[in-house]
Amino acid sequence: MKFPLLVIGGGLSGIAAAIRAARFVPDVLILEKHSRIGGLNSYFYRNKTLFETGLHAITNYAPPEEKTAPLNRLLRQLKLKRKDFSFCQQYQSEVTFLDTQSLLFSNDFSLLETQIHEKFPDCIDKFQRLLIFLDTLDPFLPAPFRSAKTLLTEVLGDKLLTEMLLCPLMYYGSSHENDMDLNQFAIMFQAIYQQGMFRPQTTIKEFLDQLITHYLSFGGKIKKNSKVIKILHKNKTVVGVELHSGEIIECDNILSTIGNDETQRLISSEPVTLLPRLGFTETIFRLKADDRLKLPEKKTIVFFNTSEKFSYKKPTDYVDYSSGVICFPANFKGIEKKSHFEIRATHLANYAKWKAISTDKKAYADQKVVSSYKTLTCLQNIVGNFSSNIVYENTFTPITIERYTAKIDGAVYGSPQKVKDGDIGFSNLFLAGTDQGFLGIIGSMLSGVSIVNKHVLPKL
Amino acid sequence: MTSEEIKDLILEIIEDIDDEADFENLNPDEPLRDQLDLDSMDFLDIVMELRKRHQLQIPEEDYPNLATLNSCATYLEPLLRNV
Repeated sequence: MKFPLLVIGGGLSGIAAAIRAARFVPDVLILEKHSRIGGLNSYFYRNKTLFETGLHAITNYAPPEEKTAPLNRLLRQLKLKRKDFSFCQQYQSEVTFLDTQSLLFSNDFSLLETQIHEKFPDCIDKFQRLLIFLDTLDPFLPAPFRSAKTLLTEVLGDKLLTEMLLCPLMYYGSSHENDMDLNQFAIMFQAIYQQGMFRPQTTIKEFLDQLITHYLSFGGKIKKNSKVIKILHKNKTVVGVELHSGEIIECDNILSTIGNDETQRLISSEPVTLLPRLGFTETIFRLKADDRLKLPEKKTIVFFNTSEKFSYKKPTDYVDYSSGVICFPANFKGIEKKSHFEIRATHLANYAKWKAISTDKKAYADQKVVSSYKTLTCLQNIVGNFSSNIVYENTFTPITIERYTAKIDGAVYGSPQKVKDGDIGFSNLFLAGTDQGFLGIIGSMLSGVSIVNKHVLPKL
Repeated sequence: MTSEEIKDLILEIIEDIDDEADFENLNPDEPLRDQLDLDSMDFLDIVMELRKRHQLQIPEEDYPNLATLNSCATYLEPLLRNV
């Protein structure tokens, strides 16, 4: 049979796109390479325990009554009912630099304003001017790259405050080294500081299951373990795909969520010139709960930098431990206390170095142990000691991330070059997800929805 | 369909998009968007639902005709006359 729409990639943007289309046309098909969906936000089991990958927090929190907020708009577009989900808001998060300066923020924006007023008294008026400027900016209008860092330095006149404000936004979605596009900054400033962070009360697995059940209820279909090896096309029109198994699937339209360069590789065998990408490591510590542990209980995410100059770029060594993100997935309002809980940490990493060492299994495993240990040391300096309570730990390198997400170089935020309108020069093949440029779970899901609205629905 | 039936149909579609939509004080001559907090994405849903339910193809340049409840009725009446 011929499918009206194939969605390549069962991550959140692909699932959202597929639900959106399936609402109006039956026989939408998601093709997922792996045995499990979710893409960058998925899960795995060790010793019968489920561990989440990717998800720290979902940005863009909005209360149910704010109808035009991205979160509620997304749910409406997918015909999902807000009351079918239990969302838990963050307690409070922190940006901490050099042990000397810290900014707290929460889902109540006034906390950040008060913090800036107290800690950067010379900057509060300038910060208010920044807010007014951001209010007047339409970040969705196409524009060439403008440096957010340059603008912030000019407006705020304070290098430390500029870097502290940029740090969480970079870690949660910049594919650029040491800077961000101004539009991207504006979107993420709103998503993280003004709207705030939350997570489902359940695990990511249940969240994904809920989405898939909904998708199937519209008649949508999904094929896992189905790696696309070729996009079949005549000139600039696609006609189908070839799977790893040799199966050919015909279609009228394709939406690819696997990344731009990743998609180009399926179209033509000509080598793609790659721009430098940012790799990360993610370390998970599972701890036994214990009253003697003096870890923060009301802190959700900590963004930290311990070096003189905050550097958000590919490190020369395996990992740059001088900055990163610490997430306490149990520290959201309404998450039940359990016998065990997790701490997760992310640092920037050098893909090429990990790739080189991965050919030697033992050296690679040893390097992972070193990395995990250094992350532990770094975390304990910031949040307090917990090493004696660790029952399980695991480090994902850019190699692990590449293997499970199929992102080139394991770069979770994709190419630094985004294709905002999803148009990659074909009449019926479009791009959504990471390389379309909306980031985070809500962003990537809205990316899927908006590309379907723009390019697919009008034609069906 | 009569003009009244078309208005009911539109409200039913909107209710389906947003089950908390409040029609109590809806002015049929004022834009639906402003009164019900709908955005352009929700608007596309109305168009898509009309297509799904009544096989109506509404070209993009005609979307402004769907701005208010009364303008919907005026625009859709000839198209849905035989429904």
